[in-house]
Amino acid sequence: MLFYNHSSKSVVSLSQICALVILVVDKQPNKKSFRKEDAMEEKKERGFTRRAILKNAAGMAVAGAALSPIKTGAGEQKKRRLGMVIDLRKCTGCGACSVACKEMWDVPTGKWRSWVKVVEKGEFPNVKTLFLRRLCMQCDNAPCLRNCPTKATFNDPDTGIVRIDPDKCITCKYCLWNCPYGARFINPQKQLADGTVGPRADKCDFCYPKVMRGENPACVDACPYGAITFGDLDDPESEVSRLIKTEKVTRMKPELGTEPKVYYIGWDDALLDAKVDSENEEERRNVA
Amino acid sequence: MNAQVLYDIKNVLDMSWNIPLYFYFTGLSAGSFILSTLAYVFGVEKFRPLGKLGVVTAFLLLTVAPLFLIFDLADPLLFVRLFWNFNPTSPISWGTVFLTVYPIVCLFYAYYIWVGNMPRAKIFGALGIPSALLVHGYTGWILAAVMPHELWYNPMMPLLFLVSAIVSGIALMIVLMWGANFVLPENEQYTPELFSDMGKLLVGSIAVDLFLVASELLILSGGTHAAQEHVALLTTGAFSGWFVGVELVLGAFIPLALLLVMRKSVTAHVVASLLVMLGILAMRYVVVMGGIYLPIV
Repeated sequence: MLFYNHSSKSVVSLSQICALVILVVDKQPNKKSFRKEDAMEEKKERGFTRRAILKNAAGMAVAGAALSPIKTGAGEQKKRRLGMVIDLRKCTGCGACSVACKEMWDVPTGKWRSWVKVVEKGEFPNVKTLFLRRLCMQCDNAPCLRNCPTKATFNDPDTGIVRIDPDKCITCKYCLWNCPYGARFINPQKQLADGTVGPRADKCDFCYPKVMRGENPACVDACPYGAITFGDLDDPESEVSRLIKTEKVTRMKPELGTEPKVYYIGWDDALLDAKVDSENEEERRNVA
Repeated sequence: MNAQVLYDIKNVLDMSWNIPLYFYFTGLSAGSFILSTLAYVFGVEKFRPLGKLGVVTAFLLLTVAPLFLIFDLADPLLFVRLFWNFNPTSPISWGTVFLTVYPIVCLFYAYYIWVGNMPRAKIFGALGIPSALLVHGYTGWILAAVMPHELWYNPMMPLLFLVSAIVSGIALMIVLMWGANFVLPENEQYTPELFSDMGKLLVGSIAVDLFLVASELLILSGGTHAAQEHVALLTTGAFSGWFVGVELVLGAFIPLALLLVMRKSVTAHVVASLLVMLGILAMRYVVVMGGIYLPIV
């Protein structure tokens, strides 16, 4: 059986798709299943399903235990460095993560805190579609932070999340130019502290309000394949630390020295090297 | 690598003309100020007529320039937050300081010139020179500090900005002197000899400017893929009309020819200066818009 990809005018066979699926499934080190049902089962065990979180919304129960601020003996919160590992081998580009994010934070039309870049690599018959989930990399050495004139962009000391203070942002757009990952935008309808709405710089903040309630970011829960793992990079027992130690992880543009906290499993250089195949120059340059 | 992007999102908006115009006006202001100090601080007497003209021009330009920045903000009134939030690592923060100090020094310098207190004028002129250089040089730092944009991210940018500022300042002074002669014909101080001397300054500074532009292109041509793409963009791509046609040919080569061949003609100097001013405006446009034109991921 053959499938025809209209945009790239290439043909993919059913056997190729099956081979791809088997390859992906086979790569799981602990033979975790690729199927949605098994992903849901696993999440139930870990208590991270949306139902569990809603049920336990008032108290921070099992769902949030791994993420809630850990209190040390003196009653202070332990400083965490929250990061994310995204398994691109499981990603199908469904965009559930980005839709959940957009819905949760009312991101305006045309702006995205999180999105999926789709790249096609190779030539018929050896063609492969690759997906890259793009979002703020929450850099430890962020250029946006260094160059913000009012320190509106700052590194939250308790979580390591790079946040924007709308009370200081002047919308100069300098941080937009400075981001090597194109993660930032001006949100013309940002909710402000006094209840009004106004333009401010905006980006993914790892769902900071949810994280402070001990919950996962919206994308982590929304991903049907469990491709996104979230946790404390400084905690050697956390799932993200385990994945970083055991899997082959890559960060986006590590040579820039920005020290991003989003790691990818299953990286392919074609994700960044890909060009826009278009005669139209406007189209060519309006991509990222 | 045979890979094509099927779908991606671009969050960053294009730039408006506000930013290139801001750079242009601060450049003109800094250039005019430096010329004004040639006589009053450095004692080069033949440029004494430039003193008052230069400082008035510098001050007026500087009152207009920040308005471009303020109206570039998505919410213009937010600019006041710059005064009570300071980030020591951000060039824009430093700029807030320079943009406050420089007009004040300018005012004092102008006052002492008008009142005739030359020693005090010299002091404030001397203080004004670094202020003027910083008020325009920092804009070069603003661009040079932006890592993802290869056209900007090199040490040449602040220097190029300063030299372009001097070039455009000299050209502006020539045009204004001619304008002053036109409006007040009985005014004797802007002599053809002064035009000639300014013309020599202009030739020298254009030469330095061209050298820096060539150096930048050379360095970028040997750099990363993105850097090479920027050179192609400027020389043969979408910006080649502005860069080669306006900035280089109209803005540098033709004025150089006019200034070197017709050394005594005031008209040639004025025409050359107008072309130079156009060329430097094109330079600001090319650097700012061209720098942000190509995708970064």
